[in-house]
Amino acid sequence: MSAVVDEREPSWLHNLWIEHRGWVVAGGLLLVSLVIWALHGGQTVFPQMLVENFPFAEKTDEFDAWVRPYVQPWTRMIGAGTVWLYELLVDFLIFTQWQIVFVILVLPAFAYGGLRLGLLAIVAVSSWLVLDFWDESMETLSLMSISILIAVVIGTLLGVMASQNDRFEAFLKPVLDTMQTLPSFVYLIPAFYLFGIGPPGAILATVIYALPPVIRLTNLGIRQVPAGIDEAATSFGATRVQSLLKVKIPLAMPSIKLGINQTVMMALGLVVLATFIGSPGLGDIVYTGLQRLNVGKALEGGLAIVLMAIVLDRVTYAMGHVEQSGSGKHDHVFRLFPQSLENFKPVLYLEYGIDAAWRTIAAGGRFVAAMVTAAVARTVALIDSDFAARLREAMLARSFLLASLVLILLLMLLDNYTDLFGKFPRDWEYRFRTPVNQYMDELVTSKVFYAITTSIKEGLYFGLINPLNQFLMGLPWWYLTAVLVAAAFLFSGRALAIGTVVGLLFIGAADLWLFGMKTLSTVIVSVLICFIFGVPLGILAAYNRTIESFVKPVLDTMQTLPVFVYLVPVVMLFSAGQVSAVIATVIYALPPLVRCTTLGIRELPEQINEVTSSFGASVLQTLAKIKVPMAIPAIMVGVNQAIMMALAMEVVTPLIGGQGLGMQVFDGMNRASIGISLQAGIGIVLLAIILDRLSQAWTATQRRAMGLA
Amino acid sequence: MTVRFKPALAAVVLALGLGSLSQAQAAKRLTAPDPDWTGGLVTCLVAQKIIEEELGYRTKRITMPSGPGVFEGVRNGDLDFACESWPSYNPAGNKYITEFGGDGSVAYLGPTGIVGASGYYVPRYVIEGDAARGIPASAPNLKSYKDLNQYGHMFKSLESGGKGNLIGCPVAAWLCDDQKRLDMLGVDYHAQSMGSETAHWAEIQAKYKRGEPFVAYAWEPHWIHAALDLVSIELPAYDESKWPATTWDRDVTHFHGSPKMLDEHPDVVHVLQKMDLTNAMQAPMIYAVDVKKEDIEEVVDDWLAANESVWRKWLP
Repeated sequence: MSAVVDEREPSWLHNLWIEHRGWVVAGGLLLVSLVIWALHGGQTVFPQMLVENFPFAEKTDEFDAWVRPYVQPWTRMIGAGTVWLYELLVDFLIFTQWQIVFVILVLPAFAYGGLRLGLLAIVAVSSWLVLDFWDESMETLSLMSISILIAVVIGTLLGVMASQNDRFEAFLKPVLDTMQTLPSFVYLIPAFYLFGIGPPGAILATVIYALPPVIRLTNLGIRQVPAGIDEAATSFGATRVQSLLKVKIPLAMPSIKLGINQTVMMALGLVVLATFIGSPGLGDIVYTGLQRLNVGKALEGGLAIVLMAIVLDRVTYAMGHVEQSGSGKHDHVFRLFPQSLENFKPVLYLEYGIDAAWRTIAAGGRFVAAMVTAAVARTVALIDSDFAARLREAMLARSFLLASLVLILLLMLLDNYTDLFGKFPRDWEYRFRTPVNQYMDELVTSKVFYAITTSIKEGLYFGLINPLNQFLMGLPWWYLTAVLVAAAFLFSGRALAIGTVVGLLFIGAADLWLFGMKTLSTVIVSVLICFIFGVPLGILAAYNRTIESFVKPVLDTMQTLPVFVYLVPVVMLFSAGQVSAVIATVIYALPPLVRCTTLGIRELPEQINEVTSSFGASVLQTLAKIKVPMAIPAIMVGVNQAIMMALAMEVVTPLIGGQGLGMQVFDGMNRASIGISLQAGIGIVLLAIILDRLSQAWTATQRRAMGLA
Repeated sequence: MTVRFKPALAAVVLALGLGSLSQAQAAKRLTAPDPDWTGGLVTCLVAQKIIEEELGYRTKRITMPSGPGVFEGVRNGDLDFACESWPSYNPAGNKYITEFGGDGSVAYLGPTGIVGASGYYVPRYVIEGDAARGIPASAPNLKSYKDLNQYGHMFKSLESGGKGNLIGCPVAAWLCDDQKRLDMLGVDYHAQSMGSETAHWAEIQAKYKRGEPFVAYAWEPHWIHAALDLVSIELPAYDESKWPATTWDRDVTHFHGSPKMLDEHPDVVHVLQKMDLTNAMQAPMIYAVDVKKEDIEEVVDDWLAANESVWRKWLP
């Protein structure tokens, strides 16, 4: 009798331990932490002796003052070069008739993305005209083009070098991590006095910010070329350089193009920040709009930026997939609207109309190209018939380019010899800032809405933010350090553990511990909210195509809309403070989590549904017991990205009352001290790297446990 | 649909661009940053328009936030001069301008005529109520800082923990020492920093529109006074030795610029030294721009046309 009881009791505990080990450890740790927190009381104090003997900020400022006269002449030369390039481009775009520029801008979209992308480009370029932001858009476009050009040239070069040399790659990796997480405000001011006010400083700061993806993806693409192909090339007598140039780089092209695409998106993220060092363009509209609390104007500028970002994204993406999309031959009727609208007659007529027009234009273009080719080939054939044949072939293969050039030339001739083209008609301009501002006013004064925002605000603050602040700031620094280091050691190993110690000691010694904890609590609360909303939304989108087609454009806008556009509305509705900081961070960090969840669920094998339903499981049971657990690695990638984005947001939220490390970055900038802002910036980088490595290591252990690795 | 499309197009664009490059660069060209608040921009436009129209210069205007960036730009020679600098709020200036104990890498060019005053303000409806909007007077006897404690419960906020809340200086680098001032004066309030000017005015405007009571830091001349009816709260008179337990010093605002300006463009420096745009002249222009939403260029042009006798005296 007693033997049976003896066997049962340990087995219950044993089961708990085996099945939910993670939760038991986490719960125990939380309990211990709460006890230590309660015993400790008050805010933690980092040893003052260390803080006083840590002259990082002062030494940096001294070094900066000393080194500047030596470096500045050289950087100014580079700055002058970029300014020359910039002005060349911007003068051409602004002083040329807008109709001609319009055609030049829209044609590449047609060339790479076909009719659909071409129409999108027409909408985008028209929006700049309609909103009367033509000059500003051209300035931003020039700034972006030159930044992207420089970033792509330097980036592919460094990427190729990294792929050839393991030591260089190992050296580059932490540098790239730092470049991606170091708040751009830290180097905005140095970029400005090193390279010059306005465009040059902005271009160079953008290059620094946008460089990492090209380097990473070029390196990755070349390294992923199977070793067999390289061996085959060398066995046919190719040298290493030949194999690289003729075999590996062409094979790595899709990856490199993806890197360029990412770089374009990163570069556009810096458009508004560049205004802080006097660069012209659309960022200016957003910035001055906000400065005067003109939400509508800022939104107009933001919309122009979003459209530019979406078109550039799609075009550069299409460039990477030209082979797949074929040569633009479209055999079926063009679809502009979702298929569900197919039975609605006007939609059908519109689609047929566009389709017919497009076919006619395409035929016309091919005809013109054929005529030009024939004429040129005949003329050349008089001299060298062999060369003429090859030229003919080459020209026919580029019939779109040929037709485009003829069109542009024609427009330029018309512009030169006739008065056909005028300014963009004033009557066609439209601004929606006034209705937006009126709507904003109504929202701010609405009693009902205010009650809602107040309850959200109070719930967030008293329920989550404030307790977490108190808890993290009250935990002794040595205890938190010990826990994080132990986690680093368990999930990853000695290297990460050492890195964690050094990083946390730096933050403590720079007297930034409490600011760091505020940053941490903002990040934790934001990511938690992102998780609560993002994962269900991602699951819904994975199951239902209609929801997905609705969610996708919203996510695209959230990711590309400059954060500055929604800072002021957030303040007006939620009032400045940590709550506003959290809300703005959630808006910014939500998209990757939703995307990764959708992807994770959708990528699971189809057979799962069949197997589970044959066992009698409902859709919900399948989801909760099988699919979500299996998608955890993908969801964790999303969580990891959300953490990184929340940390990146940390330097923007001080503008609306955020209290963490980012505020110190701003303070340094306002005091013209690189030392102070760099120190706080490094603090953010260190937190980012520690959290990133920890969550990646944890995900890796999960994957191994599930047998996915 | 050719893959080589983009490079070829880029070459064409560049070739065409070369042809249309503007060549002539005038010698009389100056660069100045546009201040990011209306008052400063009005002062700057008045100076720029006089320099352009009467002395034949061309000024290139750059939008950027005021603060150390502007000083760095002037020091490096990227900017020739800047308008309406407020000494209390520009600790960076003290490092560079000789008159404020700096190294002389930025030159003091002369006062603008605008004299700034900073302090704490409440909406008029807090003291007098507003029958039309149905707002009762929440602090009828509020006159000076001494009265603040008895109304603490009216001004509390989420993060002030039961105390009254002061919407303080938005930027830490302005060295307002709001919390220290409150503590030294025995006012048991919490000083909150909004983090940026934008957030500061957004918060104040939103609270005003909802008719909530608040105490906030602000300064004059500023467009907020044109948009909202604010009343200043008495603080002890300025005394350097007792700072920050006093109000702010009067801010005699000034132009500053590159030391090269003194030798190369004495005519411009003359105008900037003689210029005396008073608060009373600036205020209606700020009102027209921010409340009547008129175009700032036109407002300044109208003022220049109507007040020729005033600004003629500033010319060399």
